Amino acid sequence: MTMLLFGPELYYLGLAFVIFLFSLRRHPRMARDYPVIAVLAALGVVVAALSLFQQGDLFFKAYKVDLFSQIFKAALALGLFLVVMISRNLPHIEERHQAEFFLFLTTCTLGMMMLVSSVELLTIYVSLELSSYSLYILVPLRRGDDIDVEAGIKYLFIGAVSSGFMLFGLSYIFGATHSTYLADILPRMPQLVQSPIGLIGLLLALAGFLFKLSVFPFHFWAPDVYQGGANQVVTFIATASKAAAVAVLLRLAALGAGYGYSFTQVLVVLSIVSMTLGNLVAIIQRDFKRMLAYSSIAHAGYVLMGVISMQEAGFASAVYYALAYLVMNFTVFMVLSEVATDGRDLKIAELAGLWHRSPLLSMSLILGIFALAGVPPSIGFTGKLLLFTSAMNQGYFWLVLIGAVNGTISLYYYLKVVYAAYFVDSNLPPIQLSWPSKLLNWALCGVILIFGVAPDSIVELARAAVKAVL
Amino acid sequence: MTEHMASFPVLTCMLLSPVVGLTILLFLKNEQEFLVRMVSLISAGISFALSIYTFVGYDQKLGGLQFVEKYEWVKSFGITYYVGVEGMNAPLLLLTGIVIFTGVLTMWELKERTREYFIFQLALVTGVFGVFMSYDMFFFFLFYEIAVVPMYVLILIWGSTRKIYAAMKLTLYLMAGSGLIIPGILMLYSSSGLFTFDMVRLHGVAFAPWIQKVAFVLMYLGFGVLAGVWPFHTWSPVGHVAAPTAVSMLHAGVLMKLGSFAILRVAMYLCPQGFQYWSEFMGLLAATGIVYGVFVGLAQTDLKYVIGYSSVSHMGIVGLGLATGTVDGLNGAVFQMFAHGVMTALFFSAVGFIYDRTHTREIHELGGFSKIMPVASAFFITAALCGAGVPGMASFWAELLVLVSAVKVFPVRGLFAIAALVIGALFALRVVQNTFFNEPNPKFMHFEDVSPFLGLPRMILIGFLVFFGIFPQVMVGLIKTSIVPFIQGM
Repeated sequence: MTMLLFGPELYYLGLAFVIFLFSLRRHPRMARDYPVIAVLAALGVVVAALSLFQQGDLFFKAYKVDLFSQIFKAALALGLFLVVMISRNLPHIEERHQAEFFLFLTTCTLGMMMLVSSVELLTIYVSLELSSYSLYILVPLRRGDDIDVEAGIKYLFIGAVSSGFMLFGLSYIFGATHSTYLADILPRMPQLVQSPIGLIGLLLALAGFLFKLSVFPFHFWAPDVYQGGANQVVTFIATASKAAAVAVLLRLAALGAGYGYSFTQVLVVLSIVSMTLGNLVAIIQRDFKRMLAYSSIAHAGYVLMGVISMQEAGFASAVYYALAYLVMNFTVFMVLSEVATDGRDLKIAELAGLWHRSPLLSMSLILGIFALAGVPPSIGFTGKLLLFTSAMNQGYFWLVLIGAVNGTISLYYYLKVVYAAYFVDSNLPPIQLSWPSKLLNWALCGVILIFGVAPDSIVELARAAVKAVL
Repeated sequence: MTEHMASFPVLTCMLLSPVVGLTILLFLKNEQEFLVRMVSLISAGISFALSIYTFVGYDQKLGGLQFVEKYEWVKSFGITYYVGVEGMNAPLLLLTGIVIFTGVLTMWELKERTREYFIFQLALVTGVFGVFMSYDMFFFFLFYEIAVVPMYVLILIWGSTRKIYAAMKLTLYLMAGSGLIIPGILMLYSSSGLFTFDMVRLHGVAFAPWIQKVAFVLMYLGFGVLAGVWPFHTWSPVGHVAAPTAVSMLHAGVLMKLGSFAILRVAMYLCPQGFQYWSEFMGLLAATGIVYGVFVGLAQTDLKYVIGYSSVSHMGIVGLGLATGTVDGLNGAVFQMFAHGVMTALFFSAVGFIYDRTHTREIHELGGFSKIMPVASAFFITAALCGAGVPGMASFWAELLVLVSAVKVFPVRGLFAIAALVIGALFALRVVQNTFFNEPNPKFMHFEDVSPFLGLPRMILIGFLVFFGIFPQVMVGLIKTSIVPFIQGM
């Protein structure tokens, strides 16, 4: 029965196989296949939710199923489902490649699900590469201008380099501790983190996830990939992939908990540079996705604040924020892809007149944007405040002050989006929404508000989850 | 502080009434304009009625914190939902009720995107009510920001004169203030060792002096931006001029009080030693603000700018009262928050009515306006008299209390403030003369005067101003019940 622990992963393996069969059709029939995929993806969320409270070990203890991993698996399943929901039309992906689009999304989800459960260095690496390679294919899948090729190559190269850094770091850790199991490494870390080999090993090992999270100095891919990738692919990268990265970052950073002053100092610097750089550069962007790319760099900086605190409360708020970020960023991307029905890159100015073109979408947009900006009563505000609180509890006064000032800076460019959508007029026709997307809009708005005002259940869940990590 | 639990959740109802209202509005259609207005009016009316109930129903003999509701909200971070009423926030809740109710009536004629307007306005007012009743720093700050951000959209869409610039300036200024408040609040939270956001419990902690000094100045500057403390006031005249009438009423009338109330409620309450250290500085900024506001206001030709700068100087009086740290000073400061709120609401309401018809607010263009619209002009003149501190109006008592104690504590600054106010009063009368009692502008001859229904909100405002001008004891006695223990606790 232990294989039941592997349930969600097996389900997504099966789903990948089904979609693989779809991709073998000589004449693609996406109109008929899409509903099947959507329903199966929805079922996947149910499967992941059902296995939320499973516990156990698999594969010679290289694979751990606990609340922490299961929460993130549910989040990933949700992320995949949401992305599938906005992928009814894929105008910028050729029809014969559309089945592959879903196939690689699923394998990527599978890889990330394995990633969040891995507690052994090699398993972590293999799962990471499974998810990365899927994305390397997905990014240049968009047809049309050359920007997709540039994006694909940039993503591949920076991804490969950071994987290289990561392997190098892992080899140091292995060399110093003679084990690849996190459980064995953990007790040996206190002496090691003081020495250069431990510190460098750990920091380099984090590189692969800092890359996914687009933390400075691994952020260079983000603007080009966001702009160059198809909207739906970018949505997936910006939501699910970030959540998985936070999960593993927490698992690995726990190795440095409580011992390494210099280790946290490095993270503090990365956090400050990321959020300041991201927010400042985002101000001058005109392309909506590019702006969101820089905002994601800034948000990576905020999440690091939770990691830095190296405490249960800090990790819990990082988990909360990762989940919140998934929802609020998706909301914004959903509006983006509904407005850009032909799959083009949307300029911020092209949101003009959204308030009368579709009041519902503009409501989702304003809530999503305000949540990203950290305006209450939204999950973004609560998440950010919890992060600040836990950083302050560890005495990082300056970090909190810089973070708070950054929040103000970021408001400027977020408000520019609100300005375009609510104030500027246009005579474009109204946007018609299908009933599933109307439902999705209401649901997302509800989640953003309700869990922003009443975060207790999620916070408690996150707290229980991170106990397994620290 | 003694607590008396509420038998019926009055405060939660007051808070949720606008929320319910705006939720209903979300499901209405743009065309159902009358229904939209009625729903907004009813939800604002319920809050108004409940705010009167708490004001009247507060038992002064019992004292302490009444109508308390307290629920654990997020256990692991020490967040509680904790609301209550005491002497110092009861008047401000009443003020919010008055201003939102009359604000909805004032905007009755709005034609453009009515439904959206009321949604944002009700969202904003929820935040205001929340700030005044919260005793938990998390909720306090949450509501504080809810009250600030919808303003951007309100000014941007329904505003006038340089609205794009004004909306962005206002929002960024206020959010920059929040950027200082967060570290200040969290500093107290984490150094208390209690891991609670509950202000009453945090009050019992004796923070180290340096923490008090740093946290106080962070919160003073942060909240001070919203309170229009000189030199951080520059957003306020620009913002008030650009905002639509009811938003100006809410903003100058209520929102600026959030800032000064927060300085009193959070900064002074939790960091008494920090306050003592910075009180000289506060007094200096406040007195400068009074003098500056009066003199810059005199040079303006736009009526709304005149009011905007007079707000800066009147909020300076609040600041001066707070800086004295005496019973009379604080008493006067809270009273002034209330009186100035009602008065400014009346000011903007009157100007808004005139502007809607003539599309000008230039003093020389209006000329002898009282011959054209005697009633509308009377509203403005009443507000101007109140602003000049004429006895028989609520502001008179408030300013008197503040100035008397200010002269005791800071003689020079107090005298400067008094001198500025006297000159200000003189010039306010000249503004009134030039706007209303010169030769009437023939262009505007055909306008009709205020109808009784549209005059209703202004009458309500005048009613409150006069009532508390004649019976100041009702207000002063109530405020005192909380100020006396407040000072003793410091």
